[in-house]
Amino acid sequence: MTDNQNPLSPHLQIYRWHISSLLSITHRISGIINLFSLILLFFWLVALSLGENNYELFLLVINSFIGKFILIGFTWSMIFHILSGIRHLVWDMGYGFEIKTANISGIVIITSSLILTVIFWLLGRGLI
Amino acid sequence: MNETRQWILHRISAIILAPLFFWVYFSLISLSKKNYQEAIYFFKNPVFEIFTVILFFVGFFHAKISISEIFEDYIHNKKIKDVANILALIFSMVIPVIILILFIYKI
Repeated sequence: MTDNQNPLSPHLQIYRWHISSLLSITHRISGIINLFSLILLFFWLVALSLGENNYELFLLVINSFIGKFILIGFTWSMIFHILSGIRHLVWDMGYGFEIKTANISGIVIITSSLILTVIFWLLGRGLI
Repeated sequence: MNETRQWILHRISAIILAPLFFWVYFSLISLSKKNYQEAIYFFKNPVFEIFTVILFFVGFFHAKISISEIFEDYIHNKKIKDVANILALIFSMVIPVIILILFIYKI
């Protein structure tokens, strides 16, 4: 293995940060967070199948400060990953590679993911 | 599975997942304010059951491909990478199957 001269990727600590690299690594991280949110959904259903008392306990945890923080974080991660995923699909079709376009679409995704998270949460909790 | 097919399946699973994830997440947030009876009533809906099971199978399929790609980038020891890939594969099959069993027998 020591004589393998293939380039290694990606070197996060070495490259200068750009919107493109920031979104690239955030896409990966949010994907991994989404995996955890699927696992949360798994426990949600397990708690539900364990009967009323266990489910009430689960709801207590979910509605605590930390629980809400996690759920909001997971929501943002999901929305970000989907929006960024759409950007990737557009790239796969061969559009949007110009540096200016890519930067603009990156900024649009960051802002709209935050706004959508707030709207999603307010609607879901019945606050608006 | 050859790489091109894997690439295409990864994109197809993404397109299936986006609306499902959106919908399930919205339901979860609204469920977090509701009690046990309402939640049971909600999950008893066959449309929700089927979509949730699809979400788990397709979601873990998508996750398995992505995770393997991340392993490819960051794990440079082939043996460790192989073991990690096998563990990811087992994990990505066991959880959806448990969910399927839960829906059939428990909820």
